[in-house]
Amino acid sequence: MADGQLASRLAGVLRPRINGQALTTLAVLVIVGFLVLLPLVFLVEESLNVGDPMAFPPVEFGIANYISIFSEDFKTVWNTLVIAVMATVMAIVIGFVLAWILTRTNVPGREKLERLMELPYYMTPLVGALAWAVIAGPKSGFINQIWKAMGGTSDIADIYTHFGIAWVMALFEGTVAFVMISASMKSMDPALEESARVMGASKLRTTLTVTLPLVMPGVLGAMLFVFAEMLGSFAAALVLGIPGRIYVITTAIWDSTLAYPPDYGRASAMGLALFVVMFGMLTFYRRVINRGSFATITGKAFRPRPMDMGRMAWVLFSICALYIALAVVFPIAALLMTSLQRFATVILGQAQWTLANYELALSLGPVRTALLNSIMLGLGVATVGVVIMALLVWIIYRSKLWGRGAIEYLVMFPQAVPRLVFGLALLWAWLNIPIGIYGTLWLLALAYFTVMLPLGVRTLAGVVLQIDKSLEECARVCGASWGYQMRTVTLPLLKPGILAAWLLIFMACVRELGASAFLQGPHAKVIAPSIVNAFATSGTELTAAMALIQTFTVILALIILFRVARGMTKELQ
Amino acid sequence: MSSTSNVRIEVKDLVIRYGDQTAVNGVSFTVGRGEHVTLLGPSGCGKTTTLRAIAGLEQPSAGSIHVDGVAMYDASKRANVPTEQRGVSMVFQSYAVWPHMTVFDNVAYGLRVRKQSQSEIKANVEKALDLVQMRHLADRGASKLSGGQQQRVALARAIAFSPTVVLFDEPLSNLDAKLRAEMRVELRELQRRLDITSVYVTHDQEEALAISDRVIVMNVGVIEQIGTPEAIYNRPTSRFVADFVGSANLIKGRVTGPDTFTTDGGTILKFKSPHAPTGQETEVAVRTAYIDLRGQDGDNQLPGHVRQRMFHGDFVQYIIECAAGRLIVRRPPVNLLEEGAPVTVSFSPEHTVLLQR
Amino acid sequence: MKLFAAMGLAVCAIGMSAPAFAQNAKLCDAPKQMEGFKTCANIEKAKAEGAFTLYSTDPEQGQVKLLAAFNKVFPEIKTSYVRLQAGALYAKVLSERQAKSYLVDVIQISDMGMILDFQRKGGFRQYISPEMQFFPAEAKSKPEGFWTWGSIIMAGIAYNPNNVPAADAPKKWEDLLDPKWKDAINVKVSNSGLQHGVWYMLLPILGMDYFKKFGDQKPRAFDSYVQQYGRLVDGQDKIIMGAQYSGYIEFKAKGAPLAFVFPDTGVPAVPETYGIVDQAPHPNAAELFMDWFLSPVGQKALAEALLLHSPRKDVPAPGGADTVPLDKMKLLSPADWEAFEKDRPSFAREWNRIVGAGR
Repeated sequence: MADGQLASRLAGVLRPRINGQALTTLAVLVIVGFLVLLPLVFLVEESLNVGDPMAFPPVEFGIANYISIFSEDFKTVWNTLVIAVMATVMAIVIGFVLAWILTRTNVPGREKLERLMELPYYMTPLVGALAWAVIAGPKSGFINQIWKAMGGTSDIADIYTHFGIAWVMALFEGTVAFVMISASMKSMDPALEESARVMGASKLRTTLTVTLPLVMPGVLGAMLFVFAEMLGSFAAALVLGIPGRIYVITTAIWDSTLAYPPDYGRASAMGLALFVVMFGMLTFYRRVINRGSFATITGKAFRPRPMDMGRMAWVLFSICALYIALAVVFPIAALLMTSLQRFATVILGQAQWTLANYELALSLGPVRTALLNSIMLGLGVATVGVVIMALLVWIIYRSKLWGRGAIEYLVMFPQAVPRLVFGLALLWAWLNIPIGIYGTLWLLALAYFTVMLPLGVRTLAGVVLQIDKSLEECARVCGASWGYQMRTVTLPLLKPGILAAWLLIFMACVRELGASAFLQGPHAKVIAPSIVNAFATSGTELTAAMALIQTFTVILALIILFRVARGMTKELQ
Repeated sequence: MSSTSNVRIEVKDLVIRYGDQTAVNGVSFTVGRGEHVTLLGPSGCGKTTTLRAIAGLEQPSAGSIHVDGVAMYDASKRANVPTEQRGVSMVFQSYAVWPHMTVFDNVAYGLRVRKQSQSEIKANVEKALDLVQMRHLADRGASKLSGGQQQRVALARAIAFSPTVVLFDEPLSNLDAKLRAEMRVELRELQRRLDITSVYVTHDQEEALAISDRVIVMNVGVIEQIGTPEAIYNRPTSRFVADFVGSANLIKGRVTGPDTFTTDGGTILKFKSPHAPTGQETEVAVRTAYIDLRGQDGDNQLPGHVRQRMFHGDFVQYIIECAAGRLIVRRPPVNLLEEGAPVTVSFSPEHTVLLQR
Repeated sequence: MKLFAAMGLAVCAIGMSAPAFAQNAKLCDAPKQMEGFKTCANIEKAKAEGAFTLYSTDPEQGQVKLLAAFNKVFPEIKTSYVRLQAGALYAKVLSERQAKSYLVDVIQISDMGMILDFQRKGGFRQYISPEMQFFPAEAKSKPEGFWTWGSIIMAGIAYNPNNVPAADAPKKWEDLLDPKWKDAINVKVSNSGLQHGVWYMLLPILGMDYFKKFGDQKPRAFDSYVQQYGRLVDGQDKIIMGAQYSGYIEFKAKGAPLAFVFPDTGVPAVPETYGIVDQAPHPNAAELFMDWFLSPVGQKALAEALLLHSPRKDVPAPGGADTVPLDKMKLLSPADWEAFEKDRPSFAREWNRIVGAGR
């Protein structure tokens, strides 16, 4: 053996422990910890403020704000729970039925339908709520109009009720439930059902006694996840709750901050209380999922044979079509109609048709700027974000770093904090940090990155766990340093996951409402809060036009991006 | 420094723990230059863990690992060289062929890391691919290969940068039986030709015996026996080795003389042992293949009859009832005996192995 | 005359906390005559600053129009704005100042209480515009130059004649207590300066009993008059209590079926007040804007953009010939704005109870 090799071996032994991997890990940790935890510190501090709300830092401390949650704000808490429970039940039913139809039966057009199931996700809850206000508003909503025309006397639909809010929330969250439950259904071993059928069990009996119990962990997990989301939901409650004098925790928080003097203490205390509950739910959810059948992540994905439903298949098809109609077709049609009228009236006899709303919306400099800002933020945050998140995911799931479990929790934290509350906390944090990014797009970018962490990390984690560890180990054995291995093996293999995460983050950024509401500045406006503002101050017609412009711009951007993405992943096919 | 000695790898008192479980509990062995050593044992015995520790993919708790005299891991000196600097090569059980690269790029990886020139890389890759007869597929995407082809690529990649040590982690276990048998032969050929020092892990005892210079039998984290395949087969030192490697009859009894062993049933057997018996031994092992069913002179002979017969193709297996209990006998598949036929169980004292534990 | 006033004010000013800038600012000696207005601002510096930011409670559309008119005269100055309801706006301004983040040049808040509070905190920068002399004394700060009323908004009763037959139409504030209007009235949220004005002026006249009964009518509260009038048009509500007159003019001009009532008791009125912020990032542009804005040219632009009445007597009423001018209305405004300011917390509490907004 040459002495040169020997010397390098010795040098390897004697080199100090600090290497590229450790440094990068440390850097990422510090940054993420700073972004996620610091605002929460401010939040906790402010929640204990029982003195002058405008004093930073607070001068009087106490827990009065928390106590009042259960005394004075009890009605709000009650509303929140009632609506969240109703919405969850409905969303799970919708998700379960759709998942069952599309994964277990031979409904015609299955692939097309599965694609269409993604559409409601592009219809943000804000746009959906606006549309349903037009469809099912009392006295003048479409449904009531038709009812009166058919001879009815009073309203049969009122969207400004607990049920109405829950309905809209469930309609759009149903897609998420669908995706989670169908993943669980797809990972079932078909032999389990087949043996039941061989024993003589009918289709219904098999479904009830075999399929259902096996899918239960997935359904339970979905239920917990959806419930947590419903607790923190803001857009639907804002649009539909306030006219009906129904306040939930998120809108109560919003309201508190708009008053003068703003009740920041109440807002923070409620926000933190919500956070604690959501955090508990999500922890519970993860425990259920880890113990349940999550076979798609590690094992083979079974392709269960669908049941032949005969003529029932068309009934099932129409159920799916009905969902698409309720969640996508009707809302867009309603908004389209509204946006083309001079006056937002659904009394068609009175309607005056015009394109002026679109002209106005497109000519309003701030609207154009807001849309551009949103898209730019989406592009920027998604691009930088996926790289950092890929690193994070690798650290959490692949490295042997001590404390990586804590990092996982850290990264998932923002999920448990309602975006609105997080936005508020970020506002204080950055108002008091002497780096001048307040009121700029940079602050929004930071905020978006932080609240998107759970989304990106979750998506990438699913992909990382599918990469066989030996692919990376082999690179190391071949002599590659950690950096070289990441660049040449890990990141290329992650490409499909990275693209998926990129697209999800892009979309989420463009739709973002809760955090942006507080962080906007005169030069840093984004589109979702502008639409909400328009709803409050510019009338429904203009709002409808803006909402549709936003939706179609996003869809256009996504189509372009999909094409690009498909081109990039072709070589992996 | 022992760079000119004949010992390539030295593992000493290696201990590897996972939480409160000990996977490897004090393992020591050496591997000489050009030697092919196999770690053999059932799943969970610690063989893979030991192998991966040599590569630097597992973190030991105590002991030391030296390669070419350099401490790759040494608990007492706090030495722990990272994987990428150890210079040992490895073939993984799942092949770990990178699907997003071509065959050529896969094999060239280690060379590129070592910053060889374009022409050097080309030459070395082609040489390696030739050795495994995969040269014609050099430009194919690695995800489009069959299992056997992937295995060859993994092999080519492992030897491309001319390592001195190659580790094999059950490389053939994912292949079907026929292919496995063929690959075994090729592997052996390759190893001989390139004079590679190899450490091989498998649970297939047939494979271990066929291709190794020495076999290390492991069980629950410790070494049961180290020896050549013949030694392991003919002279197992423990019940475990006798049972795990090949098939054997285990007969209980006790030592009643310098070369006699009395079974619990009272039969007296003669044995030949390389070491003097301690008197504590309680079992002898007789390989099923070494039992004849017609009395031979000089053998231990026992009358009996055929209880069951099973035709295995390459051999026929009988279960014989005799004074020493129920014995399993494997004979060439000719002159089949009927069930119930009387036989004389016959085996020589050399094949009557006294088990030490 | 001006000298005496200035001296008198100077004496008073000693008792007030001194803002960072000169508190005894004077009108400049040689105001420049521009097209339609006089200015003391340094126009070159303003153009060099190149930007101007307004925070205002007016609807976005209106702000955009107003700022566009300013930008037409000075294309080099790029304008931007933030629209928030009064309470939120004031809170935002205060938080920003606390964090030493100076983003806004001029603020407009439709609540005098907040304006006075801001003046006390030294938030305004004193600038005396040559146009201020045309404003009545009560429409300006003492001393002059800290804030000025940019417009006056008044609140009456509005309804949709298509849904409310003439016979039932309300004529007085008391008519709104009629049980048939239960669940059919909308108002503004407690954040609104105008709504505070309505409460403050009507409470002594109609009594607490009135408002208790009014609460039984279960009115719905909204953030902006646009929502309120929209719901009248599509029939979701029948009556607006405390309807902003400028909103009526705006919607009527678009062809909506609406009617407005000026009850004999009077219509509560509050001003929308403008002022330059201390440590504004573009002080010269801010001064230029104020001069333009307070002039007939700017006031007319405001009238076109937001259909608001100007405190200046030489500016015609907004909208068409049908618009009732200020001098023909019985305006009810607080005499003591400080007392008005102190009343705010109790108003907010009571009003929130009336509209069912939690606490």
